[in-house]
Amino acid sequence: MAKLTIADLKKIKEKQHATFTLREGGYRAKVTVHMGTCGIAAGARNIMTTLMDEISRANVEDVITTTSGCAGFCAREPMATVEIVNKAPVKYGNLTSDKISEIFREHVMGGNPVEKYALVVGSETTY
Amino acid sequence: MEKYRANLLLCAGTGCVATGTPKVRDALKAELEKQGLADEIKIVLTGCNGFCAEGPVMLVYPEEIFYQKLTVNEIPKLVEEHFLKGRPYEKLMFKDIEKKHAIPLMNDIPFFKLQVLRVLRNKGMIDPESLDEYIARDGYTAAATALNEMTPEEIIKVMKDSGLRGRGGAGFPTGLKWEFASKSQADQKYMLCNGDEGDPGAFMDRSVMEADPHSVIEGMIIGAKTIGASKGVIYVRAEYPLAVERLQKAISVCLDSGLLGENILDSGFNFNLEIYLGAGAFVCGEETALMRSIEGQRGMPRPRPPFPAHKGLWDKPSVLNNVETLAQIAPIILNGADWYRSLGTEKSPGSKVFALTGDIRNVGLVEVPMGIPLKTIIYDIGGGVNKKKKKFKAVQLGGPSGGCIPQELIDIPVTYEDIVKTGAIVGSGGMVVMDEDTCMVSTAKFFLEFTADESCGKCTPCRVGTRVMLDMLTDITEGRGKEGDIETLQDLSKDIIATSLCGLGQTAPNPVLTTIKYFGHEYEAHIKEHWCHAGICSDLCSFHIVDDLCKGCGACMRGCPSNAIVGEKKKPHRIIQELCLQCRSCYDICKFGSIEIRPALETKPEPAVKDEEVTT
Amino acid sequence: MVDDIKILVVDDERVVIRSVEMVLKAEGYDIEGASSGKDAILKMEQNNYNLVLTDLNMPEMDGITLIRWLRQQKPETGIVILTGYPSQETIKEALELGIIDYVPKPFTPAVLLDVTQRAIEWLRKRGVVEEKPTEEFPPSMLDEIDRVIKQYKEIPGSSIPVLQRCQQIVGYLPPHVQKRIAKGLNLSPAHVHSIVSFYSYFTMKPRGDHNIRVCLGTACYVKRIEESLNKLKQELKIDVGDVTEDKKFSIEVVRCLGACGLAPVIVVDEETYGAVTPKKVAEILEEYA
Repeated sequence: MAKLTIADLKKIKEKQHATFTLREGGYRAKVTVHMGTCGIAAGARNIMTTLMDEISRANVEDVITTTSGCAGFCAREPMATVEIVNKAPVKYGNLTSDKISEIFREHVMGGNPVEKYALVVGSETTY
Repeated sequence: MEKYRANLLLCAGTGCVATGTPKVRDALKAELEKQGLADEIKIVLTGCNGFCAEGPVMLVYPEEIFYQKLTVNEIPKLVEEHFLKGRPYEKLMFKDIEKKHAIPLMNDIPFFKLQVLRVLRNKGMIDPESLDEYIARDGYTAAATALNEMTPEEIIKVMKDSGLRGRGGAGFPTGLKWEFASKSQADQKYMLCNGDEGDPGAFMDRSVMEADPHSVIEGMIIGAKTIGASKGVIYVRAEYPLAVERLQKAISVCLDSGLLGENILDSGFNFNLEIYLGAGAFVCGEETALMRSIEGQRGMPRPRPPFPAHKGLWDKPSVLNNVETLAQIAPIILNGADWYRSLGTEKSPGSKVFALTGDIRNVGLVEVPMGIPLKTIIYDIGGGVNKKKKKFKAVQLGGPSGGCIPQELIDIPVTYEDIVKTGAIVGSGGMVVMDEDTCMVSTAKFFLEFTADESCGKCTPCRVGTRVMLDMLTDITEGRGKEGDIETLQDLSKDIIATSLCGLGQTAPNPVLTTIKYFGHEYEAHIKEHWCHAGICSDLCSFHIVDDLCKGCGACMRGCPSNAIVGEKKKPHRIIQELCLQCRSCYDICKFGSIEIRPALETKPEPAVKDEEVTT
Repeated sequence: MVDDIKILVVDDERVVIRSVEMVLKAEGYDIEGASSGKDAILKMEQNNYNLVLTDLNMPEMDGITLIRWLRQQKPETGIVILTGYPSQETIKEALELGIIDYVPKPFTPAVLLDVTQRAIEWLRKRGVVEEKPTEEFPPSMLDEIDRVIKQYKEIPGSSIPVLQRCQQIVGYLPPHVQKRIAKGLNLSPAHVHSIVSFYSYFTMKPRGDHNIRVCLGTACYVKRIEESLNKLKQELKIDVGDVTEDKKFSIEVVRCLGACGLAPVIVVDEETYGAVTPKKVAEILEEYA
C-alpha cells in the first residue's frame, strides 16, 4: 500500500461515505454482526455463518455483511444491526440461528422488521 | 407537573369524546384509586391531539408513551401493566401504520437515550479491521492536524484546557502528564498504553481495543508527537486474545499505509509502535510495575519520584496512558477543549465509560456524562436489579481498590470528587450491582483474597497485612469472629494504607473499610449473632420454612441435594436441620418466599470438626 | 512433577516448614515436613526421601545428630542445612559429614530454590536420582523453542515474550525448559524462574487435554460462580491447579476474563460458556467426555 497523505484521508472518507450510505454504494441492505469477546462467546460466529449461508442460498448480491465490535448491550448478546436503504437501522438482540434466518427472510429480503426480536430502531448519536 | 409521578394526557377533543373519552376517564380514575395510585398519577384532559381516527388517545408523561383506541375494559390491565409493573402495555401502544411495527426508538429506551458516545463513538458502527471505515468517521484527521499544524505546546494547552483526567483510575490530568514528559530532555522517549485492564468486573478497555483499535493508536500518535517519543508500546493482557489480534492488524495496516513508521503523513515525524503481552499480574496496572514488566523483570512497583516522565521505561522519559484516555484524544483535538467541557462538571469534565454488571437487568457497557447521578445509571440505564422481588443493596465501584456504595447514597453525582467522599473511587469504571442476597462481609473477603493474592510482596504491610485481614474475615464468615475484630480490621487498614508503596496496597483495604462503614451491622450480626442474613456464609445461617407462606408445591423438596425437606403435597413442608447443608438451593427455588434465613443453630446437630491443620 | 523428587524439611518452627513447603510445592516438588529430629527419623523409616532440608538448633535431637543418623542409615539421601546461626564448628562438622549445601536464615524464595535445584543436580550427577527422560518433548519441539530463543535473543527484556511462546509450544514450563531458555537468553535460571513464578499466566504444571478456566471476576462472584466451581471439583475429583488421573481435564482459576455480560463464565480450552450453573457444569463436562 502506498503511503497515505492528508489528501488521501479526505478521499477515503468521501469514498467510504458513498458505501456507508448504502444508496450510492449500490447496496440495498447491510447487516452488521457485533463480534466482541462477549458476542462471540454468546454465539455471534454462528449467527454470522447462518447469515452467510442465507445470503448465498438466496443468491443476492446487493446485501453486505460486516462485523463490528461490541455494541455495549451485553445483556442482549448476540446482536446484529440491519440497515435497509433509506430506513433507520434496527438492532436485534438475543439472536439464534433460527432468528437470524427469519430476520433475513422478513426484514432483509421482505423489508419488514421482525418486531418480536427487535430491540430498538435508529442510530446512536455521538457527541 | 412535578408533583406527580406521571401525567396522563387524555384527549378530550371532539373526536375522542365521541369515541368514549368520558367513560375511559371515569374508568381510569376509579382504577387508579383502587390501586392507590391516585396521589401519584394525574389525569389531564387535553385538546385535540389530531389522532382522532385512533381515539380515544392518551399520552403518558414523562415516558411519552402513546396509547390509542382505549376502551373501558382494557383500563385495569393497562393500569396494572404500566403503572404497577412499569412496562408499557404494548397491546394499546400506538403503532405507526406505515411501518407496522412497535419497535421502540433509541430515544424511547433510557439505555440508549441517556448515553453520550465519545470514547465509544464508533462502537458497533465500524468494522474494527477496516482502516477505511475508521477514516470515514474522521479517523486520523486529528493526528494529521496535530502532526502538521500544531506544536507540542499547543497540543498540551488544548489537553490542559479540556481538563481530561486519566481514565485508568487515579484521574491524573493528562495534559500535565504530557507536559512533564515533553519538557524532559533525552535521546529517547516512550509513549506507552496501558491495556492491562485488571479490575475484576471491568471490561471497558477490552471493548475499546476490540471495537475501535485505531482510536487508541491515533491517541498514541498524538501523544508521541507531543512528548517527542519515537517509540511506543501497547501493553495488553494476554487474556484478551481478540483485542491483541485486532490491535496487531491495525498496527500492520498503519505501517503499510504510513500512519506509523517513518515520516507519518508527510510531517517528518517518526513513530514505531509494538504490542507487549502482559502475563497476568494485577500489580502491573501500576505504571512503574508495568514498565519493569516490559523490561522483562518481575513487575514490582518502585518508589516515585523519579516519576516516569523523567525516568520511566529503560530509564527514559515515558508517558503511560490508559486505553480509554487515549481513545478520546482525537475528538478533543478535532473539536477543542470547550467541546470537551460541554459535558461533565468543572473538576470532572467529559464523559466516562462504565461496565455495568452483576445483579442488574441491562448488563452492558455505557458511556455517560460525568456528574450524572449514580441512580440514573443504575435504575434508568441499567434497568435496576435483574430479579423481581429483590432489592438493590449496593454498587461496587473501582474494583479491589474501590468500595461499596449503599442505597442511601445512590443519589450522588458520579464525579471523581463526589465518589471519593463515599470511600469508593471512580476507578477504571467497573460497576458491579449487588442485590439483597449478597453478604457484604463475604464480598469484602472476596476483594481481599484478590489483593492478597496479587500483592507483589515487596512491601511487608501489604503482603502480610492483607493476609492477616483476610484470615480475620475468613474467621468472621466461618463463625470464629470475636468482639473487637471490626476495630482491629480498621486499624490494620490504616496501617496498610499509610505504609504501602503503590496504589495496590494503598487502596487494598477500601472494600473492607466501606463495607464496615455502610454495612457494619452485617459484621456485627456475623460476629455476635452468628447470623449471615443473606444466607451466604453457610456456617452462620439456618433455613426454615414459614408455614403460612408455604404452598406445599414440593419444588424445594425436589431441589434439595441432601433430601432434607419433607412434607405432604399442598401442606407446609419442613426442613430437617440435621440433614441441611445450608446450600441455599431451597431459598433460590421457592417462588413464594417461604424460606426464612435465621441465625446458625446454637447446638449444631453434627459439630463440624474445625482443625487448623485441616487444609482444603 | 519435578523428576519425582521427594523432599523432607525438618524444623521445630512450623512457619519455616510452611514457607519452605509453599515455595517448593509451587515448583511441583513432593515435600513433607517434620517438626523434630525424632519425627524426621520416624518419617524416614517409612518413606524414602531424596533430599532432607534440616535446621541445626532443635530441642530433643539437634540437626547434627540427625545428620549422623542419616549418614549411617540412609547414605543416599542428600542433605542441605537451613540455619540462622552457623558457627564455624558446626558447619565444619556438617561438611565433614557430607552435606551438599547450606541456606542461611532468613532466606528468600529464590535462594532456597536455587540451592534446592543445585542439590538435586548434585544428586543427579552421582546417579542417586535418575534424570527424568525428556522423551516427552520431541526434538521438533525443542527446535521450536530454540528458534524462539534465537529470534528474541538480541531484544532487551524479551524473557516474558519468550516464555509465553514456549509455553504455547510445550503447554507448560517445566524446569528443564526454563533452564534451556535461561541458557539461551544468557540469564540465570533463578531469574527465569522468578519471572515464571511471578506472573499468573505461566504454569509449571502440565494441563489436561481440556483445560477448564474458571473466571473469578467480581461479576462472576456476585453471580455465585463458586457453586459451579465446587461442582466442577466434585465431578472431576480434583482441586484447582490439578489434572485428572486420566489427564483429560485440568482446572484453573483466572482473573476477570472481561466477559462479565455473560457471568458467571467458564472457558473450556477456547470455548466460553456463559451463565453457568452447577447443573450446566455437568452438561458441559458431558460434551467433552
